[in-house]
Order: sequence, then C-alpha cells, then structure tokens
Amino acid sequence: MRNFRIYNFVFAFLVSTALFFPGAAQKLNNSNVNTAHTSALKLALPVKDGSVRFAVIGDTGSGTPKQRDVGNMMVQYRAIFPFEFVLMMGDNLYGGETPQDFVKKFSEPYKALLDSKVKFYATLGNHDQPLQVNYENFNMNGKEYYRFKKGNVAFYSLNSNYMDKKQVQWLEDELSRDTSEWKVCFFHHPPYSSAKKHGSDSQLRDVVEPIFVKYGVDVVLTGHDHVYERIKPQKGIYYFVSGAGGQLRSGDVRDVSPLTEKSYDRDMHFMLFEVAGDQMYFQAISRTGETVDSGVIARRRRS
Amino acid sequence: MKGEMLKYSWQVVVCVLTVAAATLAQSTQNAALAPPVVVSPADKTAIQTFEKQVKDYVQLRDRVKANAPKLSKDSTPEQIQAYRTALEQSLRTERAGAKRGDLFRPETADYIRRTLKIEFQGKDRQELRKTIFETELQGVVLRVNYPYAQSAEFSEMPATLLAKLPQLPKEVRYRFVGRNMLLVDRESNLIIDYMPDALP
Repeated sequence: MRNFRIYNFVFAFLVSTALFFPGAAQKLNNSNVNTAHTSALKLALPVKDGSVRFAVIGDTGSGTPKQRDVGNMMVQYRAIFPFEFVLMMGDNLYGGETPQDFVKKFSEPYKALLDSKVKFYATLGNHDQPLQVNYENFNMNGKEYYRFKKGNVAFYSLNSNYMDKKQVQWLEDELSRDTSEWKVCFFHHPPYSSAKKHGSDSQLRDVVEPIFVKYGVDVVLTGHDHVYERIKPQKGIYYFVSGAGGQLRSGDVRDVSPLTEKSYDRDMHFMLFEVAGDQMYFQAISRTGETVDSGVIARRRRS
Repeated sequence: MKGEMLKYSWQVVVCVLTVAAATLAQSTQNAALAPPVVVSPADKTAIQTFEKQVKDYVQLRDRVKANAPKLSKDSTPEQIQAYRTALEQSLRTERAGAKRGDLFRPETADYIRRTLKIEFQGKDRQELRKTIFETELQGVVLRVNYPYAQSAEFSEMPATLLAKLPQLPKEVRYRFVGRNMLLVDRESNLIIDYMPDALP
C-alpha cells in the first residue's frame, strides 16, 4: 500500500535550529557579499550523515543583481547545509550566448559555488541553445538528455523542448532497468503548474506521465513559470515548479487552483533537497533567506 | 441457491463494468495521444523523399563539420562560439544556392499540413496553439540559409506532434515560428528550409 505523507512545517519547526552566523558564509566565500536584506537563516533539513544533498535553481540566466542575490544566498545556506551539486531547470542563459553572456549570467553569479567545486547539472529551456550541452560547467556530457546517479538517487535530465520518439524511448529503456531507490526527473516545462503565464503543459504530460507512473518516478522538478509551486501529488508523484532563480513573475500563481499545495510568487527563490534513506526533505528559500516551504516526502514502496 | 446465483451475478456485473471502464480509459488516452493520420502511397513516397533529402543534408553537414574546430563535451564558451561560427559559415557557403522549398517540396508540405491540421483540430488543442503562439520571436528573420536569431526563444515542439511527423536525425530539428514550420540545423541554428502557413 502506498504511503505518502508530507509533514509540512511540523518538521521544519522541529529541526530548524541551525541559525545563520554571518562569519560562516564569509569564510566560505570571500568574493561574494550579499547586499540583499536577509532574514536569519533557518534550516529545515536534518543534515544526516551520508545523505544526498543538492540545490535546485530554475530560469536563472538573466545576469541581474537579483540573480546574484539568489546565488549569494545559496552560498550562505551552503555554510549550514553543505550541498554537493545543483540541478538547473533550464533557461540557463537568456538573450544571447556569447562568452561574455556565460560569465555574466552563470559563472559570475555562482562563482563561489563553482570555486568550491559544486557541480551544476543543467537541462535545456526554451531560451537555451542546444550547444550548451557541451559547456564544461553544465556537466551534460554533450547530451540533451542524460542520467546520473548520486547515492541511492537516480537523476534524469530531459529535454522538454523536443520530446521526440528517440528521447521517449531512451527514457523508458533507462527507467525500466533502473533499480535505484529514488528516481528524480528534471526538465524545463511543467506538466502541472498553476501559473497564469504558461500553466500546465498537458501535451508533454500526456507523453511522459504514463512512463513516470509505470516506472515509479518519485519526484519531478521543473521551471519555465517564474514562480515556486509545490503541486499536490499527482498519481503518486511529487511535482515542483522552481522557475524563479533569476526571473520573477510576481503574482502569477492563480489564487485558487486545485493543483497547488504551496506556492510563492513574491520574490525569487531556490530549493534545497536532502535524501536520507526513505525520506526526501525539501526546503524552498527566497532570495532574502526566508523559508517559503519545507517538508518531507516518504519514498513509496514498489511492488 | 438463488441467493448464491444472485451473488455471482453481481460479481459478473462488476467484472464487466471494470473491463468496460478500463477499455474506455485506454481509448480516451489513445485519443489524446494519437489521432490517426491516413498515409496514402503518395504520402509514403513524399516522406521517403523528404527523409532522403534530410539524410543528404546531414552528409553534407558531416563533411563541413570535419573542417570546423573540434568541440569536446567539456568546452569553454569561447570554444563553443568558435565551433558554432565556423560551422555556420561553412554551411552557408556550401549551401549558398539553397532556397525555400528545397526540402519541404509541395507533396511533403501537403502531407505535413494535413498532419498538423488533424493534430490542431478540436477544442482541446487550443492549448497547443497557445504554446506555439506565445513564443517571443523578436529578431527572427525567416530566410533559408540564415541563422535563427540567437537571442530569440524556441517554441516547444509538442511531443504528441513530433511522434507523427517524419522522423529526423539528431542534427536537424523542426521548429515553429508563428504559423510557419522550420527545419533548422540543431547546432549552427541555420534555417535549412521553411514552409509558410503550415499551421491551420
């Protein structure tokens, strides 16, 4: 019997005792100074030994000061939650891809993380040129869709711009023989979204969701809509929209939506995840350090 | 005895209803995924011709690519730019005489238009049109053998539609610009060909 539970906020109150000390982040990052007004940092993740820890950012590549604020806040949180890698939800570079654009919209905002050997794993958005797959810091290994594994978690980066038969077949083949305890897919266009601008991509959903369900995908991470949204579990799968790492569409989430479990569209954000055994903890954090959502997902048992 | 028969009758009814519901659900899903496109012998010939031309393009591209700087899986932005520029320039030179309709010949275009018409009909396909028409296309100039503007976004190609169009090798992509359908080179972004008014 499937057993899905989210101990929303309750868990956060129990474990959010790690308060931020400005000196910690300064030691980690001498080159970046966060100029945004910040809240005291509160961690809603347990930081267990041997857990898989990562961050998520989406729709980042604007090169704006606010994108850098988000990057700096990630650095500050890394001082209390040492995540190993970052998943990028696409739209990694807006409006041009000269070498200068790569610097302004990626390597500068995340310089401290890159210097700390944090790896970024990207997916392609509708603003991204396909040649980004060859960029050294996106770790796509020359591929538009790829899989990698960390601990007991398998990650699948898909190209939702162009979900052709080959990619669908690849996904099905890979998932069918994947024995990982956790399966996480990430791509740009959200199968479920309550945002007014784009909303749910039902064409994509028609094709990928049956595969996710069939092969037991646990969590799907997306961007495209420049907001944060945690979707009520759909067919046993947890969907997140995290598309405001460098762009914001303020007030874009519909006030009343049957899909929304939790949303936030007042500021940019990023996310932190920790997978420990059968539990996946998550925390969404605003540009200024405010926790806007947190909880824990229990891994579903597969027959 | 009568009571037992009544009990089994209910079980039969439940089984029949379950099978019927499952069949209905499956047919509904199939309808959403794949309205059938009738492919005539003439269409088959058109598709084969089109696929052959695309293959020829890829062969030409491979020859040109051999002269471009090599691109590794962990390239710098400078290396990516150098590769893209070299590939684009070499392809443009090699295909200097290319013109609209070279690959999207009338019979191919006719088949694709019919496929699109079927895919885009019906109320439930309004979202599909919205997806394509909301794409911001500032700077895109429709011209064969010219690059798709690097600063412009791409329209998402619906997965359900891609399953029905003639299949392309990985080097070549379909793309929409408004009602026009393009064939573009994946890496150089050059417009290989396009057909106007492709969408109904």
